[in-house]
Amino acid sequence: MKAKAVWLVAILLLGVIASGCIGGEKETGTQTAGKVQLTGDFTKDVVAIGKVLEQNGISEVKFSAWGSGDPNSVMRVYGIVEAARRINKIWADNGIKVKIVITDTHYVASFQDAYKEYLSKQPLGQAGDFFVNSYAFLPTLADEGYILDITDYANAYKSVIDDFYPSLIEASKYKGRLYGLPQDTEARPLYVRKDVAAKIGLDVNTLPEKVKSGEFTWSDVYYWAKKAKESGAAEWGLIHRKGSAHPDLIQFIFAFGGKLYDPNTGKLVVDVPAVYKWLYVEWKFAQDGLLPKDIMSWDWAKQIHPTIVEGKTLFDIGGTWYWTEWQTKQYYHGRGLKPEEVKEWFAYTLFPAGEKGDKPVTLSQPFIWMINSKAGAQNPKYDELKDVYHMLAFLMIIKASDPDINAIHSVISAHLPVRKEAAKLIKDEKWLNDLKNLNLDLDPTVKDNIKNIVQATVNPINAQFLADVSYMLEYTHLAPAHPKYPALADIFKEAVDKVLRGEMTPEDAVNYIIQKVNADPELKENVEIQGEIPKNWKFPQ
Amino acid sequence: MNKINKEKFTALSFFLSPMLLMVVLFYLIPLIMTVYISFTQMRNWNVERYLKDFVGLYNYERLFYMFQHDPTFKAVLLTTIVFVGITLIINVFGGLALALATFFISEKPASSFRLLWLLPRMSPIAVYSLVWYYFFHGSEIGTLNSILMKLGVISQPIPWGQTVPWGAWSIIIFVNGLVGVSFGMIVFTSALNQIPRELVIAARVDGASAWEISRKILIPLTKWHFLYVLTWQFLSLLTTYPHLFLLVQWDLVNRDYGTTLALYVFNTAFGRGEQDQGLAAAAAVILSIIGVIGGFVTLKVLQFEKMMKRPRGDF
Repeated sequence: MKAKAVWLVAILLLGVIASGCIGGEKETGTQTAGKVQLTGDFTKDVVAIGKVLEQNGISEVKFSAWGSGDPNSVMRVYGIVEAARRINKIWADNGIKVKIVITDTHYVASFQDAYKEYLSKQPLGQAGDFFVNSYAFLPTLADEGYILDITDYANAYKSVIDDFYPSLIEASKYKGRLYGLPQDTEARPLYVRKDVAAKIGLDVNTLPEKVKSGEFTWSDVYYWAKKAKESGAAEWGLIHRKGSAHPDLIQFIFAFGGKLYDPNTGKLVVDVPAVYKWLYVEWKFAQDGLLPKDIMSWDWAKQIHPTIVEGKTLFDIGGTWYWTEWQTKQYYHGRGLKPEEVKEWFAYTLFPAGEKGDKPVTLSQPFIWMINSKAGAQNPKYDELKDVYHMLAFLMIIKASDPDINAIHSVISAHLPVRKEAAKLIKDEKWLNDLKNLNLDLDPTVKDNIKNIVQATVNPINAQFLADVSYMLEYTHLAPAHPKYPALADIFKEAVDKVLRGEMTPEDAVNYIIQKVNADPELKENVEIQGEIPKNWKFPQ
Repeated sequence: MNKINKEKFTALSFFLSPMLLMVVLFYLIPLIMTVYISFTQMRNWNVERYLKDFVGLYNYERLFYMFQHDPTFKAVLLTTIVFVGITLIINVFGGLALALATFFISEKPASSFRLLWLLPRMSPIAVYSLVWYYFFHGSEIGTLNSILMKLGVISQPIPWGQTVPWGAWSIIIFVNGLVGVSFGMIVFTSALNQIPRELVIAARVDGASAWEISRKILIPLTKWHFLYVLTWQFLSLLTTYPHLFLLVQWDLVNRDYGTTLALYVFNTAFGRGEQDQGLAAAAAVILSIIGVIGGFVTLKVLQFEKMMKRPRGDF
């Protein structure tokens, strides 16, 4: 009995000591992490975090960066690499022996595929610590707790936050909380081939103003497209994207004065009159042979871009990034265009109003730097130092948003800057010249990876283009950040495909959309059908 | 349990345990998990959040509602029936025909010929699908359209995969049939090689043609292999989706008539936008039930139990 009692006491004591040890360590960690408070002074905050890491015996912090998009937008991941180098420099200058190492820069072309991969790997702790993707996915990621709520951190960096364009900061929020920082944005102009326009007498110099004032509408686009086709000046009147209707084609809804979201109810909207008019325009263009009936299954690299750059169409609905993509990809008879050629061949305007009385539009899809809610998990003492790692990750996206990093991305990828300071920089000739020669203080890895793109894209013509299209942001719309929006956009795409191919009339296609929405109880609950198909509406007017 | 039984049990356990473990790990647990997930709100891979979010028959009700109201869903079911039915016939009878054809020629050319049919199975799925993507592409960049236009057979490219329903069906059946036919070919070839050569030689001596030998000797003796290939291919086709996924994803074939129930399950669970794993699991359970019923009917009709009888002879 005595022996049993001794054993029991011994086990109890051991348990108490063990729990004390575990608890003690945790407490120390929490206290240490708690010492760091972001002040808004970047260097001070970085140094404070570095010291905490050093005290905890951490000499290397590992992070990975995931990004996606067109081939010229690699700064979406190399911006993080550069931010790490700049923070490492601050630590080195202050004698702190800690280093950030970017273990993986994962960059893929399709932003939807990148999102799918992130969704499947985040719960396993295998997704990137930094994730750059469309704001459209932010609500779902935030809702699932997959990305970090940075509202409290951002409060300390108000001066930086205030330098971003407010609408873009709004796009980075979900339910009033901030979940990321804008990385870039863009406009979706209507490109016009100048050579084709000249053949049919369309004055492209006055066109942007006419579009701006709402004088030149989609009926005019139809008129000139028809003229181009019938006169033999071009094979097609209009070319647009394939695949998803989001975001380029969604512009039609706004151009016809429609909406996609009701802020009062928080529901998505199928604005029947606007959707009908959009589908009717598509149907009419395709039926009259001005737009390929099978465009939704065209090949991007072999058909869509070559048709545009080879001048086989008068109009093209595209994005600002096309401007430099045409220069770096071999779409034109096996080579890229020279900047002078792009300038000589293409004019650009806002997306025209649907009809008189409506307004011209453009649509932006800001990309956002998001931080994984498990950021830093691959590092030692993650449980104790979680907050420190998260703060450091936040400071990294603050650094990756430095005006020069943002401006480099804008110039080489023809996306629009998200910060006012970056917008100023792209107008600075000296800075542009330094970028052209890569005479900038950048990480050698970054320089290596953007060298060819810089060679092909950095020049005054491209900078001027960005400056010229910046005004479009005043007309911009954002598709709703709603978890069910991708499903609705998918249905729109199906409907567009069916009217283009002539399988359905515009009226049938609207009913198809309504039927599809109503067929899924969850979608039905989240979508309002508003208005009716207009009677006696004519196109072109 | 007496001593002999105990020993027998120990021996059986020893030999069967690896297989049983495999079945439990890779079949039973996933099956139970799929059924369980179908009763939850699981989405976006968020196991932590939704695993205990039990919603009863909600996903099944939603699926049933969609079946009633969604035109796409009806196309998916019709496509599943046509795709599985026709590809199954191609895979089974095509495999048998190939095996018989190579049976009557000398071994060396026969092996080369069989190897040719195995190429699609050996090619990576993406590469193989890409070949057919460009071959059937609905514009002038498509190889088939380009050839036909050069020959003057057609003046305008034909959107093969977008011609519904048969254009889309033909492509998915063709592409998958070409992969699947080699499986039957191998099984039947092996079966034919087991048949005593004397029977064939004797028939030859009696003046029987290749067709008569096939009909009267070879085919009846490969009945059980036929049953095996049929059942296996049926279940395999019911759950196959990778080639279909790529062909639909690349817009080669019409989405409604290029999507089978298996692909629908995959897209619902792991597709773009919201990934609804609960709903997909419900559809997967229904797919499994169809598979079980279909498999059972096939085995019953072809009298599987007869094959399982102890063969006569000494034991």
